[in-house]
Amino acid sequence: MGGSPRYWGVPQCSVTDLQALILALLQGVSELFPISSLGHTILVPALLHWTNIDRSNPTFLAFVVVLHLGTALALIVYYRARWWAIVRALIASIVRGRLSSDRDERIGWLLVVGTIPVGILGVIFEEPVRELFGSPAPAAAFLAINGLVMFAGEALRRRQLADPSRADRPMEHLSFAQSALVGVAQSFALLPGISRSGASMVAGLLCDLDHEDAAEFSFLLATPVIFAAALLETRHLVAPGTHVVLFQAIAGGIVAAIAAYLSVAFLMRYFRSNDLRPFGWYCLIVGVCCFILSKRGFLS
Amino acid sequence: MKPLALLLALVFFVLGILYGLGTINAFTKSGTTHEHHITHLVLCWVLALLALVWYRFQSSTDGVRR
Repeated sequence: MGGSPRYWGVPQCSVTDLQALILALLQGVSELFPISSLGHTILVPALLHWTNIDRSNPTFLAFVVVLHLGTALALIVYYRARWWAIVRALIASIVRGRLSSDRDERIGWLLVVGTIPVGILGVIFEEPVRELFGSPAPAAAFLAINGLVMFAGEALRRRQLADPSRADRPMEHLSFAQSALVGVAQSFALLPGISRSGASMVAGLLCDLDHEDAAEFSFLLATPVIFAAALLETRHLVAPGTHVVLFQAIAGGIVAAIAAYLSVAFLMRYFRSNDLRPFGWYCLIVGVCCFILSKRGFLS
Repeated sequence: MKPLALLLALVFFVLGILYGLGTINAFTKSGTTHEHHITHLVLCWVLALLALVWYRFQSSTDGVRR
């Protein structure tokens, strides 16, 4: 970071308290709403000309790790009863050495199978993809594409509902192949602008889940991924100079956790009777506007 | 499928060690960053563990058939 202040030779993260608060809110909300948190954390600072933020700065990375931990903890707390039942059922099935018809056990193994493609593709492609597309113009373009994907998903879903041979089914009736497919769809969220929950929800809908089950499966599938990704990055928390952002990181983590908890509570209620189209419009309009602004040089 | 499960577990375990030692650089960012190898090591060992779980399920199924 060119002219940024330094602490014992370590470039300091110069995120202000207001920026930290906005980034935390943004992370908590956009991680779960199908509007791409990664895309928004690129586009919003660019729109607001926050040129002081250096994404490669170790102290900023430490701040981001705490935000992700906060989001993951909120998901775990919200689904605590479900996760407790799933973990117990998984352990019981391993001890028993065979699968049973238990609902929680089935969902647990579906989540394990769905997480494998995200883990492999994430580890292999995360950094090259972010180096290639981690700037405002590609993020805006992918955000618009994310909107189109949600419209396409809803259109295909309506076509499925018109087919009398197909009916909605609960998430535990997904096949392992379908769960892996939802996991692969979630991997597209490596692209800034493509939403993790949006992609996996669309895949879930195409596998005959209703909106509520598709959303719940998407959030359950996202939890280990967000948590593991944050845990693997915890090394940034002990980087030299990170204690300087300790207050901002802790406060930001709490804000992100509260925002994420409220978001998942809202979305689970919303998807009982609504669909993805409003988010599709939002992504399409914001994506196209930001793309035009970036091409005209208004995004820094 | 039992031999395949064991073979996969062994392959992923060894791959994890090789990533941890830095002997393998495939699919790593710069090909040299140690911290990135740790991520690959963890992923490989998790996959090895899952292959062992798969083996466990198959062993139990064999027992039931007998």
